[in-house]
Amino acid sequence: MTLTRAKVLAAAATVLMGTTALVQAQERGGVMTFGRYADSLFLDPVLNDANVDIWILSNMYDTLLLPTADGQSVEAGLATDWSVSDDGTVVTLTLRDGITFSDGSPITTEDVIWSLDRARNPDNGIWNFLLSAVSEVTAPDDTTIEIQLSQPDPAILPALSVFNTAILPKDAFEAMPGETDLEKATAFAENPIGSGPFVLESWDRGSTLKLVKNEHYWADGEDGEKLPYLDGVTFEIIPDDATRILRLQSGEIDGAELIPFARVAELEADPNIDMELFPSTRVADIILNVRPELDGEANPLSDEKVRQAMNYATNKDAIIQVVTFGVGTPTSSYMSSTTPLHTGDGAVFPYDLEQAQRLMSESEYPDGFSASILTLAGNQDELGIATALQQMWSQIGIDLEIEQVDNATRTEQYRNGTFQMRAGAWTNDIADPSQITSYFAYSPTIDALHSGWKSEEVDSLFEASQSEMDEETRAEQYARIQEIYNQTGPIILLYETPYPVALQQNVKGFYQIPLGNNIFRETYLETE
Amino acid sequence: MIVAAFPQFFAPYDPLAMDYVNLLAPPSAAHPFGTDNFGRDVLSRVLHAYTIDMQIALFATLFPFLFGTTVGAIVGYVGGATEAMFGRVVDAVITFPFLVLVIAIVSVLGPGLMNMYIAIGVVGWVFYARIVAAEVKVQKRLDYADAGRAMGYTHARIIFRHLLPNAITPAVVYWMTDMALAILLGSSLGYLGLGAQPPAAEWGVQIADGKNFMATAWWISVFPGIAIVITGLGFSLLGDGLAELLRGRR
Amino acid sequence: MSLPAFLGRRLLQLIPTLIFILIVVFVLVRLLPGDPASAILGDRALDADVERINRELGLDRPLPVQFWAFVQSVFTGNLGNSISMKIPVTQLIWERLPITMLLTFMAALIAVVVAVPLAFVAALRRDRIADSAIRGAFQVGLSMPVFYVGLILLTVFGAKLRWFPVGGYGDGFVDQLYHLFLPAVTLALSLSAILMRNLRSAIIGVVDAEYVTFARAKGLRPRLILFRHILRNALISTLTLFGLSIGTLLGGAVITESVFAVPGAGRLMIDSIYGRDYPVVQGLTIALAVLVSLTFLLTDILQAWLDPRVTR
Repeated sequence: MTLTRAKVLAAAATVLMGTTALVQAQERGGVMTFGRYADSLFLDPVLNDANVDIWILSNMYDTLLLPTADGQSVEAGLATDWSVSDDGTVVTLTLRDGITFSDGSPITTEDVIWSLDRARNPDNGIWNFLLSAVSEVTAPDDTTIEIQLSQPDPAILPALSVFNTAILPKDAFEAMPGETDLEKATAFAENPIGSGPFVLESWDRGSTLKLVKNEHYWADGEDGEKLPYLDGVTFEIIPDDATRILRLQSGEIDGAELIPFARVAELEADPNIDMELFPSTRVADIILNVRPELDGEANPLSDEKVRQAMNYATNKDAIIQVVTFGVGTPTSSYMSSTTPLHTGDGAVFPYDLEQAQRLMSESEYPDGFSASILTLAGNQDELGIATALQQMWSQIGIDLEIEQVDNATRTEQYRNGTFQMRAGAWTNDIADPSQITSYFAYSPTIDALHSGWKSEEVDSLFEASQSEMDEETRAEQYARIQEIYNQTGPIILLYETPYPVALQQNVKGFYQIPLGNNIFRETYLETE
Repeated sequence: MIVAAFPQFFAPYDPLAMDYVNLLAPPSAAHPFGTDNFGRDVLSRVLHAYTIDMQIALFATLFPFLFGTTVGAIVGYVGGATEAMFGRVVDAVITFPFLVLVIAIVSVLGPGLMNMYIAIGVVGWVFYARIVAAEVKVQKRLDYADAGRAMGYTHARIIFRHLLPNAITPAVVYWMTDMALAILLGSSLGYLGLGAQPPAAEWGVQIADGKNFMATAWWISVFPGIAIVITGLGFSLLGDGLAELLRGRR
Repeated sequence: MSLPAFLGRRLLQLIPTLIFILIVVFVLVRLLPGDPASAILGDRALDADVERINRELGLDRPLPVQFWAFVQSVFTGNLGNSISMKIPVTQLIWERLPITMLLTFMAALIAVVVAVPLAFVAALRRDRIADSAIRGAFQVGLSMPVFYVGLILLTVFGAKLRWFPVGGYGDGFVDQLYHLFLPAVTLALSLSAILMRNLRSAIIGVVDAEYVTFARAKGLRPRLILFRHILRNALISTLTLFGLSIGTLLGGAVITESVFAVPGAGRLMIDSIYGRDYPVVQGLTIALAVLVSLTFLLTDILQAWLDPRVTR
């Protein structure tokens, strides 16, 4: 356990220092093969919907700004300079000199305006909310972009580093066959042109997806020549965890994502494997439906004391041991500790069975009650959590029934607000606390995780924070939101976990940022 | 067998009791089969699973066997248009992807063993029906069936007293194989994300649970595996014995 | 009945089966809880997005209208586009189904090659050591879950001995056969056990029956007895079982495909069911139904050839 903790810190340190800290000389050439658990679905930055797309898109499509390796702020991308006006309503960016798309055609302000307009069109995809404050995008001259905002937006700069604001070639896209944006995007995504470090070469769905080096990429490597170091990246789809690891151990692939926690220690002990645990924004929790009545009956979970008792009765360390094999850490807030403006230190409700029993006896349900929890069928982590909770909560008189269902079934009950409890997990898509808070706590978005929970104070604090440009005031607002939500919110706080990625020892400079993006632009293969 | 039939008297531990100190403990005097990733005693879980797995083996296959052989015998005997119609039903049932059906039934009716039996039953009977129909068709051309008709027996009597006993052997043999397969279905569906209800111990699910520990804690999946092999062998010997018995009647 | 007439009749019979399946699959996928948009978007979905996307997909239209569109699409050979992947369903089927077909064919071949001779040995050496050993070995194979066997084969013959690649699907036909060998063995394991047990029992039955005694009395050579009489008569139920098993294998190779990272149709099917990708589930079901029906047709023809009485 201490060993893995140390490893997390070490990985965090490596990422924080960036790849510049590496002493070895970067080598060029070679193709890296990376084993993924599932294939991508649709490689359009605006119309995609799933992590399997999001987490590799940035290798093909570049954005104006880039997320930093620690996922906390932004750095220069296609834009070299950026500034926000004092009143927070105008963002001015300067385009990098001489940048081109992967087909060699220049990236113009026209492409930028068109791409951002497409990304913020409410009829396109599900990510347009990230740019909802934008009222107009203009280009005063050939290298300057001005983004007008209808109200100040403290998250606008991180938004310009999110995948959906990638810059695409307007002319090439519009020349595609088809009537609608979707039809054109479908044709375009077969042979996409972007400006990221790699270009799509071929794609056998369900099997392999090959990327090759973009010869026109703008960034310089440590050796003074253009990035990327690799000639290409090949993604192989290997859905079975055990096979993915076996393939890595036999040297047929160079890296494998989503290693089950049960096998992290084993791979750390393997001298041929570099077991990485990249800091992430992933949090695991239990979502409780807190509506006063469910199915016409009084709902025990609406009682704040019951929820606190359940939180105290949850032995986080035991769950972390059983489910994550010591890799996780207890969450100190509903948002991960890697999220900007996170507050808290240590578990909010340290395990305390007596306190839990006392709270329970003070509640309206001193004799306990029975309840059911929805877990994703086939997901060992969620099943493990639920099985452990079943034991732990029986100590405070709660008889927990585990119901394993498939994702779509659960989502339906969740969205209809008819579920009782469910296991949940969350990963941020933007380096800002507003996305997770909007979903978790701000009731107008989705009724606070469809739980029916509502706090007037949290709602108004969140609304104020959305246009608050003063960093300190915004931090105070978030501190208060977290305080209220963590103490009285509709969730059982569990743990946060890093991204477990296993690599061959000769793979250097690969990292996954806390938002999940796999970054191959500075990756290289060392030859002995 | 006796030990397994009364797990509460022989199992050393509560099969659901977790022990966070003794996670993944290898076999020892205290835990002869070791402990799993929750610190639960594997021996106790294997013993307790016996009852539930016997239920699965029987209930998942009994209805398909009875219904399938009856339908198959009638169809094989009557032939003609009935057989053609039957052929279409069989085609439709068997060509329909089993997984789509299972997921649909489990999603609509809810998870649980009963609904699993329904899903298996809807498809399973076809195997028996088709096997028996093919055999009956052959048998009814043989002399003794003609003799029965000449003696003025009813169709029902000819089918069930004369033809079926001779045609049923392959169905019985398959039935016994099917029982072993039914126990394994739990692990297959668990692998695909359609498991039985935890934390009840069940061999198939236990093997699936042990998948991540094949290298580090083999005992989680190997012992339930051995239990399935032994039980399966029992079924198969029973099946062969029954087959001999049926043939002896001729 | 002549063979062409028999074939023609059987092909005509396919039509009602397919119509039935068309209706059932259409109804069944819509009975599943959840809808494509929320299945794909998951927990991040806003109500407005879900509604908009389902509307864009035409899923807000009345069911009869949707069904008619589906029927039309089937008869024009255009099965629509995948909801999650946006590309034509026919393209997906064309890419993935042949892989599963090849895998199933190899598995069936291996199962027959292994099961038939051993069934003879076991039956003719009934209750002796060879018989017990064969039955015991097959029982062990039958009792192991597919993913377990698959992982053991991958570990031993892939990672340790390096005789075979550790999963995946090669380039070029020969390489693909090489990649598919271990998965085919895995898939063949339970099939061969089923076939062996059935055939062994059938052979015993035929041997015991009087007509073999008669044949022997007529003075035919033993080898001929074995093949003309025993095999022909014993194979009837085995062949039936074989046809049925192939049907389930075609649609049920999912686990093997997952373990060996073979990009076949089984994996596509399960992902599409979970993703509520209606057009893919529907299209793939129809394609599988046609394939399985053709397999049945083939076993029926074989059966007619083995035992002419059946079609008489």
